[in-house]
Amino acid sequence: MCRVNHILKELGHNLYRNPATALGSLMSLTLLFLLFDLFWVAAGTSERFYTRLLADMQMEVFVAEETPESSLAALNRSLEAIEGVRVVEFISREMARERLTSMLGADLLVGYDTANPLPSSYVLSFEPGYLNSADMARVENETAYIAGVDQVYYSKRWLAKAEQTRTIILNVGMALGILILLTALTSSANNIRLMIQTRAVGLWRMRILGAGRLFLATPFLLEGLLVGGLSAGIGWAAIFYARQEITFTQFELVTPSLQEVGIFCAAASLLGLTSGYLGIRKMLR
Amino acid sequence: MAVKSIVELNNVHLKSDRGEKVFEDLSLRIEAGRSAVVTGPAGSGKTILVELLVGLRFAESGSVELFDECLRRGRKSLIRRTRRKIGGVGGVYGLVPSFTVAENVLFPLVLAGERRRIRRERLLRMLTEFSLLKQAREYPPTLTRVEYTLTQFARASIANQPLLVIDEPLAGLDATTYGRITEYLVKVSQSGRSMLILASDAPDRELPNSDYYRIDKGALSCVG
Repeated sequence: MCRVNHILKELGHNLYRNPATALGSLMSLTLLFLLFDLFWVAAGTSERFYTRLLADMQMEVFVAEETPESSLAALNRSLEAIEGVRVVEFISREMARERLTSMLGADLLVGYDTANPLPSSYVLSFEPGYLNSADMARVENETAYIAGVDQVYYSKRWLAKAEQTRTIILNVGMALGILILLTALTSSANNIRLMIQTRAVGLWRMRILGAGRLFLATPFLLEGLLVGGLSAGIGWAAIFYARQEITFTQFELVTPSLQEVGIFCAAASLLGLTSGYLGIRKMLR
Repeated sequence: MAVKSIVELNNVHLKSDRGEKVFEDLSLRIEAGRSAVVTGPAGSGKTILVELLVGLRFAESGSVELFDECLRRGRKSLIRRTRRKIGGVGGVYGLVPSFTVAENVLFPLVLAGERRRIRRERLLRMLTEFSLLKQAREYPPTLTRVEYTLTQFARASIANQPLLVIDEPLAGLDATTYGRITEYLVKVSQSGRSMLILASDAPDRELPNSDYYRIDKGALSCVG
């Protein structure tokens, strides 16, 4: 207990006697984590936006002109059997005309009552996990070989663009995350190393008296742990406060759950602990 | 098990970092309850002898045993345990600048994991005995030379370690403090604790239960 008290007291001394170093370390880490948090929120928001857009994505399968009505049931079954297809909706020529009219606000086919030129079609909706270029292309290929199918259409180019954008966001996020991690590690480790250098004589003298390396290092490790966790917590607190105060009408900001924030703060504490270790590893040798 | 010898150096050979001879065939034995006073001019190797005892240097040949255990390079745990059994003054035993006088004096008890009540009692006793009550909250850089030395003595005495290593205990002290410290050394040598005193000149009072040595050019000779 006595040694634990001493370690905690030393931790307090480190922070109290070097307030500028401790505050500087806390602020720089907070800013780094805040940057990371903002990107997390932006990525989460764009991911939800992307998912919503994708959820509306459908594939249209146009039936060949010469296909007899008696074959439609078999065609429907074949489409339903394709992996990833959730709903198959049949659109007759008349329904197609009605939809066109409702879309345009006027019936362009007046006078063509006996010879409706619009083809009948099937609209396919997909399971969420299959809304990607690879699966859609597979479905397109499988559909094209079914008897009675004339053409298959979906927003192929849009999907490819959306996926590309998503990959870019993910890669930038990864690069930024790694950069922030390295900066946080270096900055925090450097602060702790500076603090150790200012106290090098004292630490050496304590070792002569029989103090173990871990005993001497623990306050610095705890400092890293505390500063890491605290700065991550402050960053998220700022984000949640801003979210509460600012209302967006066009879209909703997606913030992580409290559990995720907790895990992030724990990871940041671990990062602080690691930087503390990096700062004192010479002393631990 | 009772310790037979507190310090035992057998045929120690040591060279400096520049390859110069420091000790050649140096042997010294301090039995439990006895003390050794080693005198010698500056640069004769007195402080290096302390560094050997606390594991800051290691003999190239020969053996260094403390409390019947051999100190060797790499035996970190043993070295740490041994260091805790030594109370030190002067030389490598400077005060921790970031600790107050009270914290410095208490430190051996903190390492020993003593209870709060015992720590308080002993701290008060030491501060009173060495007239440091007023300076208890001061930091070492603000202390006078005498106060600094007295704080070291208080720290070396608080945990009643079996060995007291004192490097130049009387250097730069005024007559009153000199007398007081000499009195303290006599008291310790009568108490059954062992001491290794390293000084340019021996104290003017003879210490009971003590052997006197002279160190010069890396060789140690018994002078009484």
